[in-house]
Amino acid sequence: MRIPIAAMLRTAPRALGLLPTLGLAACGSGRGVEPLKFWAMSYEGDYSPMLMPAFTAATGIAVDVQSLPATASHEKLLTAQAGGAMPDVLMLYNGWVQEFATIGAIAPIPSPALVADMFPGVLDATRVGGRDFAVPWSVAPQVQFYRRDILARAGYAEPAEDWDGWLRMGRAIKRQRPDDFVFLLLLNWPDMLMTMLGQTGAAMLRDHDTRGNFQTPEARAAFAYYARIFAEGLAPKALSTEIQDPVAAFAQGYFAIWPTGPTTLLDLHRRAAEIPAERWGTARLAGPHGVGAVSGLSTSLCVSASTPRAADAWTLVRHLSSPASELRYQTMIGNLPARLRAWSSPQLRAPILAPFKEQMRFPAVAPRVIEWERIKVEIQFAAERVVRGVQTIPQALAGLDTRVDQLLAKRRALVEAGTLA
Amino acid sequence: MTRQERAAWVFSAPVLAIIALVFVLPTTLAMALSVTDYSIYALADWANLRFVGLGNFIDLFSTPLFWRAMGNTALFAVLGVPMAIGASLAVALLLNDATVRWKPLWRVLLFAPYVTSIVATAVVWRFLFNERSGLINRALATVGAAPIDWLGNPHTSIPAILIFVTWKIFGYNMIVLTAALSVVPQDLMEAARLDGAGRWTRFRHVTLPAIGPTLLLAAVMSVAGFLQIFAEPYVMTLGGPAQSTTTILYFMFDEGFKWWNLGQASAVAFVLFLMILALTMVQTRIGRRYEWL
Repeated sequence: MRIPIAAMLRTAPRALGLLPTLGLAACGSGRGVEPLKFWAMSYEGDYSPMLMPAFTAATGIAVDVQSLPATASHEKLLTAQAGGAMPDVLMLYNGWVQEFATIGAIAPIPSPALVADMFPGVLDATRVGGRDFAVPWSVAPQVQFYRRDILARAGYAEPAEDWDGWLRMGRAIKRQRPDDFVFLLLLNWPDMLMTMLGQTGAAMLRDHDTRGNFQTPEARAAFAYYARIFAEGLAPKALSTEIQDPVAAFAQGYFAIWPTGPTTLLDLHRRAAEIPAERWGTARLAGPHGVGAVSGLSTSLCVSASTPRAADAWTLVRHLSSPASELRYQTMIGNLPARLRAWSSPQLRAPILAPFKEQMRFPAVAPRVIEWERIKVEIQFAAERVVRGVQTIPQALAGLDTRVDQLLAKRRALVEAGTLA
Repeated sequence: MTRQERAAWVFSAPVLAIIALVFVLPTTLAMALSVTDYSIYALADWANLRFVGLGNFIDLFSTPLFWRAMGNTALFAVLGVPMAIGASLAVALLLNDATVRWKPLWRVLLFAPYVTSIVATAVVWRFLFNERSGLINRALATVGAAPIDWLGNPHTSIPAILIFVTWKIFGYNMIVLTAALSVVPQDLMEAARLDGAGRWTRFRHVTLPAIGPTLLLAAVMSVAGFLQIFAEPYVMTLGGPAQSTTTILYFMFDEGFKWWNLGQASAVAFVLFLMILALTMVQTRIGRRYEWL
């Protein structure tokens, strides 16, 4: 979804920019010539080098930042752990913390003070077996970005907040713009469906999270609503590979409602020439009976269990997760601070951030199994088959139960043997 | 052992050692892995590793996506091999014609896609295939055809990727076949022409027997290549839409490297190995019958 050329252009100066830091490390503290390795995904990876000069100047520790593409980062990190090539510090999506803690890739935090003033509810997602393995970095709930002008023409000042209203609004917009769509729900991005499943109250796993539990009225309701949006032609049946430039598509009115996270703020600010700020706004996502909990891609900072420079690594984590760094990051890439202290800053009072701020207090809770990332992909596959008319909802949900049972077979065996709590 | 034999062993020993180290040993280890349940739990703790015998294979054969991937791969091979080799042969025959001028230039231009980066060209082709703004649909519109959602429709996604793959790889076999065509005996061709043989008869009875072995080689390599197709769907469609372009190797990659189920992934690799071996044996037999090898 990011623009590859822009990424390439960014990489070149970064590679050059490393040269002075390398030199600094050599003649600096004498802690060793090798810079500290830090891996981060997506915009966090692209923009982290900008936070490093201040850190290197203050501590004498040079840092080599590597930006990983979000879609390939999970396998890259697993491969690094298996091959003993982990970086010293790494960013993880909160949903991955349990997995990487279980395989012994990340170290528990050395002091509870590191996570003392976090946004409520955030720590629940990154705590494994009662211990903290990660320092929450940003909170990224999904909200709906909407086109004010398109909604106004259909008679809406703001997007609807409940499912029925969402559909009615969608139909009203579709009547005015029959050649375009209303919502962008990419068929290979599970976040929206996860939110819907959470909001109908679907308990997706059962028997101590060892079996799939998708043949329930709640799961059926979420799937039916999701499929209906496509069946009525309100969303394009497209994968992320097909909508190559969603910002341009949003600017052209190809769709009017875009459920996505705070980093989209950066995209929209950067391309204000195509889509001026007065044309779009943000609002909390619609739920079955009004706004509720939503899922998102919040991130954390972790330190590799195998790093020989744990003290330096934690110093870097402390720097990156400080309120000052988090606020600087917010201006740069839109990410919202996980530290409560940062929220007293006036920069976070912008009206455009208000829906995020309200939504942050209601994160969706995902089952705590290390296979979850994979199960999410399977759920989305099942939904795609329904949307494309390959299977009916009962068929897809039955197939999903079988598949998830298969994926959880090892976990089931370990739980039954008492090895796994 | 005679002196000669000793010398032969000394000369071949380095190669044999390298083959043993980088081919035999990893293959044996992969086969060993395929009878264990090596997964992310084993990565966490070796004590979680169990011997499961043929369990991975039984699991695999009861996974719908595995059969889907097999079917997709078969479709890629069945459609792709004739498409790619047909394109190579057709262009090679055209280039071989005496009336074509600037032959080296044409050869370079037509070979160029083969040496370009697959990711870069795939991105360009994704734009070409775009339903609304793609050049291909615009061209179709000029002749009055309805726009096709090339990469978004499960029925057209494989043909779309095959068009891209054919464009990308036909240059290689084109060069190989051009070389083969240059050794087709011209006197035989003249004699056939004097005897009144038409274009097709001359191609069937003079050209084809001469380039037969080369065609067979191209076919064997293409079948092996298409059975292992991965990068194209990975870059163009991520295996979608509705997993219609998930190939057997893509499935293996996901199982093994994305989710770290190396036991299961090794089982897939073993199945793929047997498939390619069997197909190559059949092709060799056909080649022997026609005395091409």
